Amino acid sequence: MTLLASFDWAVIWDNRDALAKGLELTLEVSAIGIAGSTAVGLVLGAARAHRIPIVSQLAAVYVEVIRNTPILVQIFLLYYGLPTLSHHLLFTQFRTAWLAVTIWGGAFNTENFRAGFEAVPFRYREAGLALGFSRPGTFLRVTLPIGGRIALPSTINTYVSVLKNTSLMTAIGFPELTNVSRSIAAATFRDVEMLSTAAVVYLTLVWTLSGLVRVLERHLALPEEAR
Amino acid sequence: MRRDWSRITSVVLAAVAIAVAAPWLWHKYQTRPDWFDPIARYILHTGLKNTVRMAAFAVVGSTAVGIVLGTLLTVRFWPSRALIRLYIEVWRGLPIIVTIFLVYFALPRAVHAGWTSLDAFQAATVGLILWGSAQVAEATRGAVQSIPREQHEAASALGFGWIGRHAFIVLPQALRRLLPPLIGLLANVIQNTTIAGIIGVGESLETGNRSIERLTFSTGSPQAFTIYVGVMVVFFAISFPLTRLAAFLEKRLI
Repeated sequence: MTLLASFDWAVIWDNRDALAKGLELTLEVSAIGIAGSTAVGLVLGAARAHRIPIVSQLAAVYVEVIRNTPILVQIFLLYYGLPTLSHHLLFTQFRTAWLAVTIWGGAFNTENFRAGFEAVPFRYREAGLALGFSRPGTFLRVTLPIGGRIALPSTINTYVSVLKNTSLMTAIGFPELTNVSRSIAAATFRDVEMLSTAAVVYLTLVWTLSGLVRVLERHLALPEEAR
Repeated sequence: MRRDWSRITSVVLAAVAIAVAAPWLWHKYQTRPDWFDPIARYILHTGLKNTVRMAAFAVVGSTAVGIVLGTLLTVRFWPSRALIRLYIEVWRGLPIIVTIFLVYFALPRAVHAGWTSLDAFQAATVGLILWGSAQVAEATRGAVQSIPREQHEAASALGFGWIGRHAFIVLPQALRRLLPPLIGLLANVIQNTTIAGIIGVGESLETGNRSIERLTFSTGSPQAFTIYVGVMVVFFAISFPLTRLAAFLEKRLI
């Protein structure tokens, strides 16, 4: 009870602009990361599923390296490591942030889409080719719509993780939501208020995103699997 | 036929990569600069030791808490179910860094008691356990529910109570299904210990950061790229076999 009594709502209200700005950056980086990781995942996932020589193998290496190393090391490598090679590779925090989540999410989405495309029965592709579609045409009109839906649940999980991972940009001083709430807390000694605000915002975003998926899943379900 | 060609391409590419990289790496190692040995020793002896220690505590804690919560989640009693659901959704939904910040910065201010002021290592471990136990609980629920009803009934018929039934009959069988996700969790926990570096725990990445700072001050050249790639190699060498093993077991055990 003492916790509730001493909870200072005013400190949240007074810092609403800074928090909103942090949320905006979080959402912006997440949006770019989600779009970018979808693009990377679609292209490389298709290359993996169709076993395009060399591209497929390089994509496999990319996926394993990203999945088996901590994203925080990847962020530091981009932000502090690359500039020691060449000053052309000196990125702003914003660019590092979206690049890092795109590269990270792209690796996971490559795997998601690969699994989705490979789950499309081969006879569907044969049917597409037999009907006179070109190979790219068959991919766009047969494999992509079916495999994309199969991959949907796992890609959404990746998007949720992309959103959560933007919080790690705190480590390079990028003023997203976690960083902003932490710095206000450090200045006002209101850690409980600021961090629980950030927590509530993250939970709202994550739960909305995963709830959206369940709706979308039902909407996009393949006819044979529809309930 | 296509599959075989892709196998052969992979093998050839891997062979070429090793043939080119191995002599180059060996040469690089032979002609390594003076700073290399002490920093490698610092990262491996101090950093990696803390990483492994924290990961061990976190995995054991997550497994213990997660298996209990996951088993209780299969009990048809809605208040306990709702509470455990909330626990799982909250700690799975929050970014781990926010959880660790909550434990490290907010908890001691919210509850003034001796046990709430944890040092950075303990706070990060608790944060990882909150997250990890939520993952294990969800996996346990699925594994326990996959055990056929007859096993429960047979155990009851033999006179086992609820606890005995789960501890001796159901969970040992569920463990088979639980093993791959638990190994996956271990790989993830090891990677996520790097987040503890943000609140100052000297784990592998943080020792790398400190080395880079030292080098910047003492020699003026931070060597950040080499050191971060080195840290990546360390994590990859641990994590890759684990994720392969998890994938292999998933195929074999189920």
